[in-house]
Amino acid sequence: MKRREFLTAAAGIGISGALAVGESPAGDKEKRPEKKTLAVESINADTPVIDAHAHLFHRSSATWKEMDRRLVEAADKLGIDKLCCSILTPKRPATAEGFRECNRWMADGVKRFPGRVLGYCYVNPTHSKEALREIRRCVEERDFIGIKLYNEHRCTDAVLYPIVELAIELRVPILHHAGHMNFFLESQPNISDGSHLSELARRYPEAMLICAHVGGGGDWEWEIKSLRNAPSVYLDTSGSVIDEGMVEMCVDVLGADRVLFACDNSMTAGRGKLAGAELSETDRRKLLGLNMQKILKKREQS
Amino acid sequence: MIDVNCYLGHFAFRQLRHNTADGLLRKMDAKGIEKAVVASAAAVTYRNAQSGNEELQREVKTHRDRLIPFAVINPGYAGWADDLKICRAEFGMSGVRLHPGWHNYRLADACCRELVNAAAKHEMPVSIPIRVEDNRQRHWLVDVPDVPLKEVTDLVKACPAATFILAAGGGFTRCALGKKQNSLPQNYYIEICRLSALLGNELGQLVDNIGPERLLFGTGMPFHYPDPAMLKLKVLDIAEADKEKIRRTNAAKLLDC
Repeated sequence: MKRREFLTAAAGIGISGALAVGESPAGDKEKRPEKKTLAVESINADTPVIDAHAHLFHRSSATWKEMDRRLVEAADKLGIDKLCCSILTPKRPATAEGFRECNRWMADGVKRFPGRVLGYCYVNPTHSKEALREIRRCVEERDFIGIKLYNEHRCTDAVLYPIVELAIELRVPILHHAGHMNFFLESQPNISDGSHLSELARRYPEAMLICAHVGGGGDWEWEIKSLRNAPSVYLDTSGSVIDEGMVEMCVDVLGADRVLFACDNSMTAGRGKLAGAELSETDRRKLLGLNMQKILKKREQS
Repeated sequence: MIDVNCYLGHFAFRQLRHNTADGLLRKMDAKGIEKAVVASAAAVTYRNAQSGNEELQREVKTHRDRLIPFAVINPGYAGWADDLKICRAEFGMSGVRLHPGWHNYRLADACCRELVNAAAKHEMPVSIPIRVEDNRQRHWLVDVPDVPLKEVTDLVKACPAATFILAAGGGFTRCALGKKQNSLPQNYYIEICRLSALLGNELGQLVDNIGPERLLFGTGMPFHYPDPAMLKLKVLDIAEADKEKIRRTNAAKLLDC
């Protein structure tokens, strides 16, 4: 089988490289850095590597542009072909204007990094009419690939139902923030976990639901087991937690077709745990990109 | 490569794989890691940590060419000074590992300072894992936060004769430990497994601030996949000679191996 040593890296990583590619105004296409090869793992050359959960940076930060550029440069170094990104408001719950602003910037990010950055539309379901209008605009006019929901509501809250129904109509996935702690998380009283996503999936089995970051901090063994009997729910591998055996357990319990590679901006953690997981080549290719590619094609086929 | 942050044995709250000497060595071979510092994972939660050290001793005794045992000592527990002597003189253990949060003492406690000074007399480096696992995944029976870096800073200042390995930590550049010209004694090394090497790039900042001579390769195996730490070194934009210091040379000098 034809194989290639996977990966590329920017030749100049430091600040000088940043200035070279960071000077174009927002809305212009960013220049791609020079490349050099860097092996992460050996995989079939035609395997797409798609990070299913990433974020561009909110523009209230003075360094947003530099950080956006660094994210794409990191993807280059780690052999990630596409980053599925959203931008969240720094303060939540988000207002309607807050999430619309994020999505405008996200659309600009898609233009600045053509072919590399894909957009999720972030909304707060509290603002139902505005959220539905925004999702339709982002998917139909801006070619966004899905919907990103955070923790403003538990995913079983009825306020989400119209959003799920619209996602089904538009044939796009919902990436839902999640985590299971064995204690009450005061900072996120409405956080969803795998059991909540399973419940939502029972109500809407045709929806494409992605349970976010199994390595995002929480009892990941609980999270995986809670999703076992929810065949329409995917689980992404992102987060800073790099516990050995985590990815293998995802595949063992859920099957390789339901697990999506992602970093959630923890780049070496996300890419490293996939490289370290003991998987067959067939399964590794599914996780790295084939599964997400299938999800993306659902919209293209509509 | 020399990995300065590994464990052997069972952990109370999660099943570990590759946690025997043979299992870890197979993993090290697969990843090109020549030697590793190992400490007992069971001793993290045993009341009598010395039982963990004894288990570790039995596990590594035929692999001493590659596995370098560190003794887990709880300075709040009866007989710790005897345990330290046994671990050094009889077991030939090379260093000490502290778990203040799990063992219910503070780094500022007099007993801890006494242990650290005793380790220094024995020329045993003191390894302090800032965390064993992410606190957010904690078991319902325990709540052990990360070791506060402020307390670590005070300890390295108070015990200049000791040598410290600060493992599985992050956020060093936000405190004195990771700042340039910080006026602290240069008696501590920082292990890299939880440092960012892209985006925030704390690892690159630490190379600039405290120098590559003060950084050590470590993975946290078998709690962690080793690959993220390896990947950090691969993507780090520094001279190959400096990477080699982090990968191997600094640890070889420190551990005399």
